[in-house]
Amino acid sequence: MIRRAGSVRQWPWVIVVFVLLAGWQTCCEQSRAQRRGRELFQLNCAPCHEAPNPDLKKQPPKLEGLFQSKRLPSGAPATDDRVRKTIIQGIGTMPAFDQRLRDEDVDNLVKYLHQLK
Amino acid sequence: MQTQQLYRLGNVAPAIRKDALDVLPLDRRRRFECAKLVLQQSGSNGEGMVGKHPMKEHNRMKLGKLACLVLACVVIAPGCKPKNKRYNLRGQVMGKNVAANEITVKHDDIPGFMSAMTMPYRVKDPRVVQELEPGDLIAAEVVTTNDGSDYWLEDVRITDESGRKTAQAPAPPRALQPGERVPDLPLVNQDGKTIHLTDFKGKAVLLTFIYTRCPMPAFCPRLSGQFAKIHEDLVKTPDAYGKTHLLTVSFDPKYDTAPVLRRYGLAYLDNDASGFSHWDFASAAPGDMRKLADSFGLVYFEQDNQIAHSMDIVLISPQGTIAKYWSTDWTTKELEDALRQQAAQSASAALQTVGAGRSR
Repeated sequence: MIRRAGSVRQWPWVIVVFVLLAGWQTCCEQSRAQRRGRELFQLNCAPCHEAPNPDLKKQPPKLEGLFQSKRLPSGAPATDDRVRKTIIQGIGTMPAFDQRLRDEDVDNLVKYLHQLK
Repeated sequence: MQTQQLYRLGNVAPAIRKDALDVLPLDRRRRFECAKLVLQQSGSNGEGMVGKHPMKEHNRMKLGKLACLVLACVVIAPGCKPKNKRYNLRGQVMGKNVAANEITVKHDDIPGFMSAMTMPYRVKDPRVVQELEPGDLIAAEVVTTNDGSDYWLEDVRITDESGRKTAQAPAPPRALQPGERVPDLPLVNQDGKTIHLTDFKGKAVLLTFIYTRCPMPAFCPRLSGQFAKIHEDLVKTPDAYGKTHLLTVSFDPKYDTAPVLRRYGLAYLDNDASGFSHWDFASAAPGDMRKLADSFGLVYFEQDNQIAHSMDIVLISPQGTIAKYWSTDWTTKELEDALRQQAAQSASAALQTVGAGRSR
């Protein structure tokens, strides 16, 4: 079987470059969404969930590992939909964020919560 | 080839030799090894051009090295990250909460961390909060944990304090001073029932203002948390419980309808609806709410779909007059003591009146 030396030399590089570029692109998009999620978390969640305030009625639970367990602190299943609903409607003494966050913000926040371990 | 590469490496960085790697800190060794791989990669290119090795083997080696490089960077990169991240902040102090060790800052864009906005920040050194005043222009470092789960301010410097005077301009005067009668404006409570401040005559009333969507823990959630604690304490002393009343009024009547207030109230009453007989959650029509706010010196306005507001607590005597205001620093105990004292004073005054009447 005759092979052209040039093609043998080039094709692995083309694939590698393509894979790296695709990976880089995905990485950039992910990091943008992650950055936004982190920003939203710090602005909306961390003030209560990460900084204990003795004057609050109940100390809000920490959110690290929220999706690692099967159930949320409320006892509901730890699903994206349930977390999204909690953020939008509030629960117990946690206020509703429906007037504060847009749908895409809630999506980014849920994605970020998945990463908190 | 290996010797040649090491020799080249020796030319580039003679101070760091292979045997010296063992004494380098781990993170520096990792970085060094990463750099070594890059150099090895560039070195093999030169030899490949000479054609000493079969092309197939050479390509495999190049690919292998590249894979190693990528893998090494992926593995090493997380280990190279510092524990905390630091960002420069420039902004203006809009408010401070000494008890919570927080300042609210209206800041510019913080690239990589936060877009321009007004938000509270915890300050590492509590003395700084005492020193800062609303209106101060500051520069500081926002420090965040690596996972972004916590953040605070460090190295806070006042760059301009000329804004203090404007920011510290006195709040609009309260229309009602201590000793004056409270207004008789209609409110709608959590059950949809119309109530008036004058309905509570004969009881000492602690009144405050909130909106249920408030996400700032040092604001409305704190006020409601403190009222909940006072309520729980008063439940344990039936005498004081019967002579006192708590009233939380929302200045967001559009959103805080009776069902919303009921749900909010239940969360603070541990789902015990009987508590509403001692603690009402109410709102007023927008016009009446504005009159009520002016009476008590409450300031509130809509901002970015949220409500910026002052924090005000009013103690109303059993005679329906204003006994005391709080708007800056207070503790739950201070509020509870004042409420109990007001109820007790009025009860003893009533007894004296009855006693005087009998002796005549």
